[in-house]
Amino acid sequence: MVPEPTAETPDTPPATSESVPPTRRSFITGVSAVIAGTIVAVTPVIAGLAFFLDPLLRRRPTMQGATEDGFLPVATLAELPDDGTPLRFGLSADKVDAWNLFKNQTIGTVYLRKINGQVIAFNDTCPHLGCKVDYKPSEHIFFCPCHASAFKLDGERKNEIPPRGMDTLETRVDDKNRIWVKYENFQRGVAEKKVV
Amino acid sequence: MLHKLHDWLDDRIGHRRLLHDALFEPIPGGARWRYVWGSTLVFVFVTQMITGFFLWTAYSPSTLTAWESVYYIQHEMSYGWLVRGIHHFAAQAMMILLGLHFLQVVIDGAYRAPREVNFWMGLVLLQIVLGLSLTGYLLPWDQKGYYATQVATNIAGVTPVVGQQVQQLAQGGAGYGHQTLTRFFALHAGLLPALLIGALAAHIAVFRRHGITVPEKHRDKPADMFWPDQVLKDAIACLAVLATILFFVVYKGAELNGPANPAEAYSAARPEWYFLFLFRFLKFEAIDKLGLAFGAIYVPGAIMTVIALMPIIGRWKMGHRFNIAFTFGLLLGAGYLTVLALREDAADVDYQAAVAEAHRDGERAAELAHQQGIPAQGALALLNQDPFTQGPRLFARACSSCHRYNGHDGTGRLVVITEMVDHQKIMKDSPPTAADLGHFGSREWTREVLVNYHELFVPLKNAPEGAGNRFLEGDMATWSKDSHDVLVDKKNEEGLKALVEFLYQQSGREGTGMVENPLVKTGQEIFTSGKLPSGDMLSMACTDCHGMKLAYQEEPLSEEQGAGAPTLTGYAGYNWLKGFINNPGHASYYGENNQMPAFETRLTAEQIDLLARWMVGDYEPTKLVIGKAH
Repeated sequence: MVPEPTAETPDTPPATSESVPPTRRSFITGVSAVIAGTIVAVTPVIAGLAFFLDPLLRRRPTMQGATEDGFLPVATLAELPDDGTPLRFGLSADKVDAWNLFKNQTIGTVYLRKINGQVIAFNDTCPHLGCKVDYKPSEHIFFCPCHASAFKLDGERKNEIPPRGMDTLETRVDDKNRIWVKYENFQRGVAEKKVV
Repeated sequence: MLHKLHDWLDDRIGHRRLLHDALFEPIPGGARWRYVWGSTLVFVFVTQMITGFFLWTAYSPSTLTAWESVYYIQHEMSYGWLVRGIHHFAAQAMMILLGLHFLQVVIDGAYRAPREVNFWMGLVLLQIVLGLSLTGYLLPWDQKGYYATQVATNIAGVTPVVGQQVQQLAQGGAGYGHQTLTRFFALHAGLLPALLIGALAAHIAVFRRHGITVPEKHRDKPADMFWPDQVLKDAIACLAVLATILFFVVYKGAELNGPANPAEAYSAARPEWYFLFLFRFLKFEAIDKLGLAFGAIYVPGAIMTVIALMPIIGRWKMGHRFNIAFTFGLLLGAGYLTVLALREDAADVDYQAAVAEAHRDGERAAELAHQQGIPAQGALALLNQDPFTQGPRLFARACSSCHRYNGHDGTGRLVVITEMVDHQKIMKDSPPTAADLGHFGSREWTREVLVNYHELFVPLKNAPEGAGNRFLEGDMATWSKDSHDVLVDKKNEEGLKALVEFLYQQSGREGTGMVENPLVKTGQEIFTSGKLPSGDMLSMACTDCHGMKLAYQEEPLSEEQGAGAPTLTGYAGYNWLKGFINNPGHASYYGENNQMPAFETRLTAEQIDLLARWMVGDYEPTKLVIGKAH
C-alpha cells in the first residue's frame, strides 16, 4: 500500500535482483500496472479539466431582451445636446449571470453624441485595460483615470497609451426618434477591435 | 543528455532513492488481492481531491446560490454531471472500501502489537471521512441534504454539557442559514481534507515501518516486491472501483432534489444508505424511550470504544476471536437494520409518494431554472410560484377531502383513513364524496358531463345526508339520461363532437383552435337550438337553463337563470374556475344547490390563482407526470 500506484518503471534495477530476476513475466506485469494505474489516475483529471474548460466549450448569452440582431433602446434624439457634447447612458436589459437571470439591470454604459442629427455611440470602457473612461468637459476630451489614456471626442487616440481609439458601437434611430445601440464589448489591450 | 539531467536532479532531490523505497518494499508471502483495500482508499481519496477541486471552481455556498450553482454544475455545465457524479458515488464507494479495509485488518489481526497506534490512526481517518460525508451531504442545499443534516446537527445538540454550543457553532447561529453553508464548506473543502492528508501520510508511514501483516500460513512462501506484482493487483482493484463508480454515474446519476425549503415538511427524509442502520435503530420505541442521547451518542460511542480497544483485547487469542465476532455481529446488526429500514420504506406508500414528489420537485426546479433562469430570490421562488408544483399541494390540502385527482390527492398520494385495530395500523381507502377532477375541463370531461352525468358525479352519493342527490337526481342528470341514447347514436357522432368542441373552446385553454372552426359553429347551433345535424332533437337546449356569453360577441346567447344551473360563459377556463372555487354558491354557479365551501375565505388569492392555473394547465411545459407511482 503506497499512495501512488502509478509510478513509472525506475531506472535503477531492483536492489534485491537476486531474489526477483527481471523476467518477461514481470515486464508484462509492470507494463500492465502502469497502464491500469494511468487510467485510474487520469480519468478524474480529464473529467475535471473538461468541466473546467466549460467557458471555452460553450458560449452563453450575457443578457436577454435585445433585438435579434443585438440592439437595445438607449435614449431619444431629443435627450442629446445639439452641440455634440457626449452624454453617458445606461443600457437596460435582463442580465444573465451563470444560473441567474436578473431582470432590468444596467448591463453597460455608453457615450452618445449627436452631430448634425447623426448619432455616434462609444463603449465607455477604455480599450487599454478596461477602466471606465471619463468625459472631461473642461478639455473636451475622454480621459481614463487609470493609466491616463486620452481620446478626442471623435474617439481618436490623443496619446500612445491605449492601443486603439475608443470603440464605436453600431446605432440606429427608429421612426419614433428612439436611439438603439448594439452593445458589445471588445478585447482590451490589443490594436485590433475584436468582439469578446 | 536526459540521463545527465536525471543525475543532476537526483543529486539535488534524491528522487531515485525515494521512488526505490516506495516501490521495492518486499511483501513476504507474495502479492495478494486482500492487500489492495488500502490502495483503493488512497485512490478514491485522490479522486475526491481532484473532482472536489473542480467542483469548488463552480460551487457557491449561500442559501440563495448553493442549490443554484449545483443545479448549474449538474444540468448546464460541460461534463458537470460527470464530475459531480464521480464525487458523489466515490464518496459512497469510500464507505464500502473503509468497511472492507477494516474487516481485513480485524480478520488478519493487523491491529496487534506493534501496530496498535496505526490502527487508532485508521479510526481517526474513519472519523474524518464520516465528517467529510456529513458536511458534503448538506452542500447542495436540497431538501434531502437539508433535512438529513438537520437530524445530524440536532443529534450533536443533545450531546451532554456542550451539545447546544457545538450545534450553534456548526450551524453558525441558532438555525440554518448562509453561515451554515460557509462553515460546512470550509470544513468540507478545507480543514477535513487537510487533516485527512496529514493523518493519511502518518498512517502510511507507520504502515511502511511495520510492513504488511501476513497471515501465518503464507509466511513461508517466497517474498514478492511491491513493484510490480502488488502494484498491478492494486491498480486493477482501483480500476474495478473506478468502473463501478462510473457505472453508477452513467446509469443512476447524482440526484439533486428540489431546493431546501424550511417552510415545507419533507416526508422523504432519510440519511444516506450507510447511516440507515442508525436511523432505523433510533426508530425503535424502546430505544427512543431511553432518550436521543442514548441511541445516537452513547451506543455508537460505546461501539467505537470497543473498536478502539481491539488492539488490547486482541492480545489474547480469545480476545482476537471476540474482535472478529464483534465485527461480524456489528455488520450483521447494521445489515439487518438497513434491510429492515429499506423494506419498511418500500412498503410505505406515503414514503414512496414523498420520494416521488421530492424527485419531481428536483426535476421541476431544474426545468424552470433552465426555461426561465433563476431570479435573485433563488430557485425556491420559482417553485413557489409554479402552478404545477403548488397546485397539487393545494388540491391535496383543500380539495382532496371530497374530490380526487385521477384517483389520488393531487400529489400522487392515495387518500386513506388510518385506523388502529388491535394496535395494528390499518389503512382504508377513504371514499370520495365529490367528482374526480383529474380530467376536469378536458374534452373527455365535457363529453361525460353530457352523456354520463350521473356516473361522472357518482361519488356525490357518498356525501353526508344525501346532499348529493340534488345533483344525481337533478335537472342536469335527468337531461343527460334522456339525451344519452340520442347523443351516443352513431349518426350523431359528429354532433356530439361539435357540441363538446364548442364547450371546450369556451375554456380558452391551449389547443382550443380557431374561433371560426366549423365544428365549433355547429356545436353552437346545437347548444342554442337543441337540434342535432341529423335532425334529432334533444329534450332541451343548453340555453334553456344555462347562461352563456361568447367572448367575442356583445349580446349573450342566453341569460343566466340563477336557478343553480351554472353559467357556461368561459366554462372550465381560468376565470370560470377561479370564480367557482372562490364562491361556488354564487347565483352564477350552483346557487342554493351548492354544497362546496367557498374558498375565498379559506385560501389566499395567490393560492386560488395557482390552483386554478394548475387545473386548467396554464404553466410552463413539463415532461413530468404526477401519480405515476400508482
